[in-house]
Amino acid sequence: MAIYTIFVYVVWFVAIYFTIVLLLLILSNRKQLYDSPVLDESKPLPKVSIVVPAYNEEKKIAESIESLKTVDYPQELLEIIVVNDGSTDRTAEVVSRYKGVPNLIFIDNKDNKGKAARLNQGISRARGEFVACMDADSQVQPDIIKKTVPYFRDPKTSAVTVTVKVNNPKRFMEKVIEIEYIIGLSLFLKALSFLNSVHVTPGPFSIYRKSVLKKIGGFDETSITEDLEIAHRLQRYDYKIASCLTTYVRTIIPESMRGLYRQRRRWYSGALITFWQYRDMAFRKKAGVFGVFLPYIYTVMVLGLILFLSSSYLGLTDMFHNLSLYAHTNFNFFEHFSLKDIDPLSVSVFGVFGLSSIVSVFLLAFIGVKLTGQKIRSKAKGLMGFWLLFFIYQVFWISAFFNVLFRREVKWR
Amino acid sequence: MAVKKRIFGYAAILTLVLFILIYSFNVILDQKREESLLDRVDDLFSDYEELQAILLLSDVAQDEKMTCLALESSLVYLNRIWETGRKIDTYQSLNEEFLNDPAYAKMKQKFNRGEIMYFSMLKKLKDECNVDKTVIQYFYKRPEECGNCDAQSFVLTDINKELNEELTIFAFDANIGGPAVGLLTTYYNMTEYPCMVIEEDMYCGLHNKDQLIGILCRYGNLSVCS
Repeated sequence: MAIYTIFVYVVWFVAIYFTIVLLLLILSNRKQLYDSPVLDESKPLPKVSIVVPAYNEEKKIAESIESLKTVDYPQELLEIIVVNDGSTDRTAEVVSRYKGVPNLIFIDNKDNKGKAARLNQGISRARGEFVACMDADSQVQPDIIKKTVPYFRDPKTSAVTVTVKVNNPKRFMEKVIEIEYIIGLSLFLKALSFLNSVHVTPGPFSIYRKSVLKKIGGFDETSITEDLEIAHRLQRYDYKIASCLTTYVRTIIPESMRGLYRQRRRWYSGALITFWQYRDMAFRKKAGVFGVFLPYIYTVMVLGLILFLSSSYLGLTDMFHNLSLYAHTNFNFFEHFSLKDIDPLSVSVFGVFGLSSIVSVFLLAFIGVKLTGQKIRSKAKGLMGFWLLFFIYQVFWISAFFNVLFRREVKWR
Repeated sequence: MAVKKRIFGYAAILTLVLFILIYSFNVILDQKREESLLDRVDDLFSDYEELQAILLLSDVAQDEKMTCLALESSLVYLNRIWETGRKIDTYQSLNEEFLNDPAYAKMKQKFNRGEIMYFSMLKKLKDECNVDKTVIQYFYKRPEECGNCDAQSFVLTDINKELNEELTIFAFDANIGGPAVGLLTTYYNMTEYPCMVIEEDMYCGLHNKDQLIGILCRYGNLSVCS
């Protein structure tokens, strides 16, 4: 049997196994997906701080602050700390308009130090027992604090993530990424929380126990994906990260493909750097399922990437070969084509394996959308296009590998 | 954790079942391909036997006109010869095991033999019954040994679709060979591939569609010649 055939079988097996584990985890725990502990308002409530670092967010910061003003939590127990990271636009001016908001603190830095540094600065000023970190281009739901704080009843819980939704998706790509967020940043994290293996506390909104943040030294200011790095560090210290699906944060996504490429190059480069940084956790007994999940997911990714590259090479070679053949018949592509030419027996085994992978991804997305209580019809475009991401993102992963291997600098923005 | 461990086990079983299902589906497809090819080769032989029976009958009846009419109406396989040969090659490329399967090599050898018998019969018909068919004998080898054979086969497939009623192409795989194909290549003193024999004239090397139509028009008034 050829090496390529065995390789296809192996990649298919590890990838489908992972998808089925996810599906089983989600389906077997479907009743608990939306089970949130309830806030006991008869007892004294804890103080909560929300840190919002901002860099050139003049267009979005007002919406974010407006959404924070609607948060349903005693105002005297809630503080909003907006930290300007040396914005060169009118961010400071826009935030200054909210001077009258009593629980809003504005730290107006003139120099640019990066998101993690500004998060740490905000956390050091925070007086809350719990600190939520939020992106300046995101908007929260009023119940976000009441829904997330009760998870901290478990003293081992160090952080809580929430559902991340795309803000007002209109274009095709936005609808596709909306599905990706429903699956990847919501259901996937919830499924991983059942295994104590959450690997990221998404930047748009995640809430932390401040004492734990202090103990582990806050956010890594050298990291380009500080939300991923801190989750790995929390796992290393054996803390729990919970996931709450009953509330959400809305965030914006890049408007252009170029913007998406830049964002994903940063995410994936950061993921590779973080994995390398925490490689000692792989297969470590103390790391539990996370210690197995971490190398497994990267193995699937690397194998998938090799398969993508080799299949692309074979596919392109085949395409050019066919084009060169058509050159001998004056490129008469459809001149003699008839439906009778389609022979079901000429389907290759690779075609069947490939199709089954696409079907499984589609199934995962379909079940995901169903479980989140959304109408399939309204998400039809996104669902149809979801599998396309796996082809586009391979290119982003290649770029990320290139960046990391050749130590090219990837900036946060 | 017990429930979680069970999930990993169930997932492994489900993945394995799915893998076995797809693999079995592929095995069934392989069998179907082989059966479909065998059916086609059998059709070729039964068609040939039919022709032989009619020829024998014509010897007894001594009515040449009636025999020619009967023979022409029995040439049902003629239009499927090229298609069958291409199908064998396509199915061969789908599965490496199939490629090295001795049964497949035997089938191809049998098909080539059938083609030669059919070709001889057609030649006789052309001489005795004025059957108006242009005949191409096409000799090729595997792509590793013959860089242009793939392209020539592609051109011939295209021409065969366009001139299906006016043209018959017999393709002989020189790699699979067999005594009859060997005899033909020796007879024509064939040293280069791809090579075509059209009405006893040899045309070796790659010919594109326009060139080939130009050549074919020298031998008959085909619909594309006007």
